[in-house]
Amino acid sequence: MSKHAITLKVNGASYDLVVASNKTLLEVLRDQLNMPETKYGCGTGECGACSVLVEGDVAINSCLTLAATMDGREITTAAGLQQNGELHPVQQAFIDHSAVQCGYCTPGMVVKGVSLLAKNPNPTEQEIREGLEGSICRCTGYVKIVEAVDAAGKAMAVAAD
Amino acid sequence: MSTRVLTDFDLVLPGSLSEALDILAQNGSAVTVVAGGTDILVAMKAGFKADMVMSLTALPDLDYLDYDASSGLRIGANASIAQVVDSADVERHYPALWQAAKIFATPQLRNTATVVGNLLRGSPAGDCCAAVAALGGSLTMASAGSTRELDIDDLWVAYGTTARADNELAVELKIPAPAAGRVSAFKRLTRVNEDLAKLNVAVSLQMDGSTCSDVRLAMGCVAPTMIRLPSAEAVLEGSELNSETLEKAAAAVQEDISPIDDQRSTAEYRRGVAGVYLKRAVEQACSIA
Ligand SMILES: Cc1cc2nc3c(=O)[nH]c(=O)nc-3n(C[C@H](O)[C@H](O)[C@H](O)COP(=O)(O)OP(=O)(O)OC[C@H]3O[C@@H](n4cnc5c(N)ncnc54)[C@H](O)[C@@H]3O)c2cc1C
Ligand code: FES
Ligand code: FES
Repeated sequence: MSKHAITLKVNGASYDLVVASNKTLLEVLRDQLNMPETKYGCGTGECGACSVLVEGDVAINSCLTLAATMDGREITTAAGLQQNGELHPVQQAFIDHSAVQCGYCTPGMVVKGVSLLAKNPNPTEQEIREGLEGSICRCTGYVKIVEAVDAAGKAMAVAAD
Repeated sequence: MSTRVLTDFDLVLPGSLSEALDILAQNGSAVTVVAGGTDILVAMKAGFKADMVMSLTALPDLDYLDYDASSGLRIGANASIAQVVDSADVERHYPALWQAAKIFATPQLRNTATVVGNLLRGSPAGDCCAAVAALGGSLTMASAGSTRELDIDDLWVAYGTTARADNELAVELKIPAPAAGRVSAFKRLTRVNEDLAKLNVAVSLQMDGSTCSDVRLAMGCVAPTMIRLPSAEAVLEGSELNSETLEKAAAAVQEDISPIDDQRSTAEYRRGVAGVYLKRAVEQACSIA
């Protein structure tokens, strides 16, 4: 096993870490940095519970990413989306639209919503559904989730005006 | 033993191509190359044992996707599937590759998975494998002190096995610039996008009016590797494209394929849909659907 000294920027703060070669970004976030908001579902890229953002808006599966390969990168988790105590419009829309049931998929869903709206600020329902592919809700509340992302996109467009 | 956990291995992150090639020269088959890691990490979590893992993440300047009207498309080893989807040049000039990338896996996976990794994995189900096999092209294989061009037709030698030597790194995929009148398309049959194909097909043809030539047809999940369809190609080559020739080509596919039953489909079903999917892909390429 090899150990690697890396610097990770997570939710705006910089961390100097030593990570083992076989640790995924998900494990380092949860176990080394005590940030449990990012969830472990399948571990093999299928469920999206572990989704985080790299460099602001690019969603990746942290369960399939070796932490040591992320030296110098900027990570945003669901908990890092709020700013100065104000929820991100996507987070607020999930609350307003009751798009949360057990909540296990929610951090990943919210992160994916942010990522898809960054690329396509005004998506159709079909585009939202395609953008959320790879994020599975075991409680199957997809209708509410799609509505929430749609509402967030509209709220963000109004705020940007 | 608990599954879906990565057991110990040494990880090296070369910062230059020459360093990467030296590592391969010295350690050969002991090295497992990782690009996006979306295949190999899943395999390692399922028990594949790697002693030394070499990540390409820190290699500079390999994440390009460049198109030039005369020299064609060049895709670096670290270029992601998402970069293909985002490229208007690929959408316009290489529809088969763009269509394969568009429905590939999930948005997160497209951001990390590489095109070159898809080819080097050598899966008979690889979606970019089908597209590139139909479009034609080559991989630049680099080793310490030398490079060679490996034609895509010579890449896959057996199930999950490629013609890559242990000391080689694939650094670039090249696909020639299409001549005027070149059309292509990709089609895949799955349950949901996230699943690997039950069957996939890609076609590329040179159209002169309704006559086609330089026909390249590729199909996946119907043999141990991604394959070309020589019998169906022979039917279409030089012929007038109409419903009769398309039917003949679809029938000829049966001679080219040897599907099996597996967790995603059955041999019988694959034989049933192979010709239909080939026909639809050609129609899609020529937009006569
Ligand atoms: C949930 C899920 C869904 C998926 N869906 C699809 C799908 O829809 N279609 C599809 O085709 N695939 C799919 N895949 C498989 C996988 O994502 C692709 O094959 C991907 O393109 C692999 O690229 P990578 O960069 O992640 O490869 P890696 O896992 O890094 O590498 C794959 C293989 O290629 C070798 N390799 C990589 N780069 C090089 C290089 N430069 N030189 C030499 N060898 C190299 C590696 O050693 C390894 O053997 C899916 C995977 C998952 C987990
Ligand atoms: S835990 Fe990463 S995709 Fe399921
Ligand atoms: S809310 Fe329970 S898994 Fe989505």
